[in-house]
Amino acid sequence: MIILWLIFIGSLVLLPGTALLALRWAVRRGEFHNLQKAALSIFDEEEPVGLVTDHFPGMEIPDANRRAPRDP
Amino acid sequence: MSTPNSPSMLQALSPSDSGELEQRRVLFAEIDASCRLPVLLLFVSGLTWLLIGTVLAILASWKMHNPGFLADWAWLTFGRVRPAHLNAMVYGFASESAIGISLWLMCRLCRVPLLYQWIIMLAAVFWNLGVLIGVAGILAGDSTGIEWLEIPSYASPILFFSYALIGVWGIITFRFRRQPHLYVSQWYLFAALFWFPWLYSAANIMLVLAPVRGTVQAAVNWWFAHNVLGLWFTPIGLAAIYYFIPKVIGRPIHSYYLSMLGFWSLALFYNWNGMHHLVGGPMPAWLITVSIVASVMMTIPVVTVAINHHLTMAGHFRKMKYSPTLRFMVFGGMSYTVASLTGVLMALRSVSEVTHFTHNTIGHAHVGMYAFFTMVVFGSVYYIVPRLTRREWPSAGLISLHFWAAALGMFLYITALSVGGVFEGLAMDNPDIPFLDVVKGTLPYLRIRTGAAFLLAIGHTAFLINFVWILARLWRPYRQATPMIIAATQPESGPIKP
Amino acid sequence: MNYGPLLFLGVFLTLASSWCGLVLIPQLQLWKSGGLEAVKLEKTGEFYPPMRSGLAEHGREVYRANGCIYCHSQQVRPKGFGGDFLRNWGQRRSVGRDYLRDKPVMLGTMRTGPDLTNISLRQPSASWHMLHLYNPQITSPGSIMPPFRFLFETRKIRRMRSPDALDLKPPFAPPPGYEVVPKPEAQLLVDYLLSLRAVTPLPETE
Repeated sequence: MIILWLIFIGSLVLLPGTALLALRWAVRRGEFHNLQKAALSIFDEEEPVGLVTDHFPGMEIPDANRRAPRDP
Repeated sequence: MSTPNSPSMLQALSPSDSGELEQRRVLFAEIDASCRLPVLLLFVSGLTWLLIGTVLAILASWKMHNPGFLADWAWLTFGRVRPAHLNAMVYGFASESAIGISLWLMCRLCRVPLLYQWIIMLAAVFWNLGVLIGVAGILAGDSTGIEWLEIPSYASPILFFSYALIGVWGIITFRFRRQPHLYVSQWYLFAALFWFPWLYSAANIMLVLAPVRGTVQAAVNWWFAHNVLGLWFTPIGLAAIYYFIPKVIGRPIHSYYLSMLGFWSLALFYNWNGMHHLVGGPMPAWLITVSIVASVMMTIPVVTVAINHHLTMAGHFRKMKYSPTLRFMVFGGMSYTVASLTGVLMALRSVSEVTHFTHNTIGHAHVGMYAFFTMVVFGSVYYIVPRLTRREWPSAGLISLHFWAAALGMFLYITALSVGGVFEGLAMDNPDIPFLDVVKGTLPYLRIRTGAAFLLAIGHTAFLINFVWILARLWRPYRQATPMIIAATQPESGPIKP
Repeated sequence: MNYGPLLFLGVFLTLASSWCGLVLIPQLQLWKSGGLEAVKLEKTGEFYPPMRSGLAEHGREVYRANGCIYCHSQQVRPKGFGGDFLRNWGQRRSVGRDYLRDKPVMLGTMRTGPDLTNISLRQPSASWHMLHLYNPQITSPGSIMPPFRFLFETRKIRRMRSPDALDLKPPFAPPPGYEVVPKPEAQLLVDYLLSLRAVTPLPETE
C-alpha cells in the first residue's frame, strides 16, 4: 500500500509542480507577450491580410480585396 | 531525436544549399511542390478507404433492418462488417487524410519544404498495408474484440512503425521551422503527432500484447478510444480550422488569447474523459466521476473555440457562398461545438442512464467523426489539392453536390439516431415494454439511417469524380490557372525574388 | 508561446496526468485491494470466478471473432440505475471480479440485443440457443439479430438422422432428405453462452 501512496502523492505533487514552474518560467520569459503578433504570422507579403484565398472554380468573390494576377 | 540538433544533421537534411534558403523566405509554391507526391498519395489512399468504408457502412446499416441480407458468409456477418467499417474509416480514411493535412500544414506554418519525401511515401505505403491486413483480418474473424483497437496484433505493429516514421518526420519539420512564431495550429499538430503514438502503443501493449487483468482493460480501452478522437482527430481538425478560416477570409483569428486558453484547457481536460463510456459499469465509482467532471469541464475549450471562430467569421459568413473550403470548415467547426456539448450532456449519469447502450451513442460518434472531422478533411482537401496539382477543381457543381449531400445526409443521420436512441433508451429502461418491442421501435430510425448513408455515398462519389478528374488533368499541359491559384502560388518557372 | 520545448513539456504532462490517473492508479488500486485476485468463497470453498471449461473458452473466441459485442453487453448496472434489474438481466450488479479471467474483457457498449451477463440462467437450453443462432426468427420473431447459418451445415441424411440435427419446422426446415447440423464453432459458442452467469454473492456486492 505504501508504494501506491508514494506513486499517488508523488505524481500529485510532481506533475502539477513541474507544470507550475514551467508556467512561471514561461511568463517571465515573455512567452505570453504580444500574442496578436503570432496571430498575424500566417499572413505575409505573399498572401497579405485581406486576401481571400479560396473560391469555387470559375466564380469571383464580389467584395474580395483581391490582388491582380501576376504575369508569369 | 537528439541527432537533429547538430548543425551537420541540419545541413544534411536541407533539400538544397541551406545558405541560400536561409536568406530568403521559402515560397508557398516550393513547399507545395515538395509536398506534392506524399500528400497526394495520402489523400488518394485516404479517399480509397473512404469508399471502402462507405460500402461497409451501407452493408452494416442495411443489415440492421434486414438481418437476413448476405448472412450466409461468415466474413460478411454484421459483427465483422461493422468493426471493418470503423477501422477502415478511422485508420484508413481519417488517419491518412489527417496525416496528409498535418504534414502540409506543418511545412507551410514552419516555412520549410518537406524533406526526403520518399520516407513519407514509404511510410504511407506501409500504413496502407497495415490497414489492409487489419481490415482483412477483422473480416476473417481475427478481430481483437476490443473496440477501436480491433486490428489484429499481426497488423498493428506495421501501423505503429509506419506512424513512427511519419511522426518523427513531422516533428523534425517542426524542429527546423524558419518561422519564428508558433501559430496555434502548430501547437495542435505538434500535440497530436506526439499524443497518438503514446496512446496507440500503450493501448496495444496493455490490451493486446500483454493484457492487464480484469476491468482495468476496460479503463485502458476507453482511455484510448476516447482519446483517439480527442487527442488525435480533434487537434488536427482544430488545427485545420484555425488555419483555414483566417486564411480563406484573409483576416487574423479574433483572439489569440482565447485560442491559447482553448488549447491548454483541451489538453488538460479531454484526456480525462474516457471513463464516461463506462457509467454504471463494474468500475471504481471515483474513476467514472472524475471522467464526468472532466467531460463537463470540456465546456471551457469548446465554448472558447466556438466564440473565437464565430467572432473571426463575424461579418464574413457571406463568403461561405463562394468558398468550398470555408463552407466545409464552418460546418465542421459548428459540429464540433454540437458534438462536444451533447457529449457533456451524455456524460452525466442521469442522461447516460437512458442513452448509454443505444443508437444515440452511434449518432453522437458520427457528429464527432463525420460532421466535425470528416467535413474538415473535405474542406482542407479542397484547399490543398489545387495547390499541390496546380490545377483548379474541374467542377464547381460536384463540390456543391458533395457539400449538400454530406450536410443533408449528416443532418438526417444524426437526427434519426439521436432521437431514435433516446426513445430506445427510455423504452429499454421501462420493463413493461418487451425487449423485442424496443428493438422493433428502432427500425424506422435505422431505415432513415440507411437513407442517410446513401446520401453520404452520393457526396463521396461526387468527391471521387472531382478528385480523379483533377488528377487526370495532371497529364494535360499546365495552362494559366484561375486567380485562386495564382494568388496563392507563383508560376512554376523561376520563383519571384522578394 | 513560441518555445518548442515548453510546448512539449505541457503536452507531455497533460497526457501523463490522465495516463497515471485513469490507467495506472486503477491498476494499482485493484491490485493492492485484491480486486485482481480470485476469492475463495466461504460457503462452498470454491474460487470465484470459476475457470471456464476449455470448450467454453474456445466458444468465447467464436463470440469475439463474430463481433457479438457490437450488439450485446455483458454488464449489469446497479439496482435502480436503468432497467437492468427490472428486466431480470441480473440479481446483482456486475463487479470487477466477474471479469478476472476474461481476455479481452467484453463489457460491450450497445444493447441492440439484450444483455448476456446471465443468459445461461434465462435460456438454459442448448437446443434453444442452436435454433436461435441458426435463425433468430424461429425463437424470437421480429428480432434483428442476423442468422448465423454459416455456423451450421445443411447436409444429406445418410442412413439415419444425426442426433445433433436441429429440430426445424416449416418454413425453416431444410428440403426433405436433408438435415441441419451445427458445426463445431456453433457447439463451442453455445457452450460459452451456457457458461455465462454472474450471480454468486461476493463481499463487494453485499
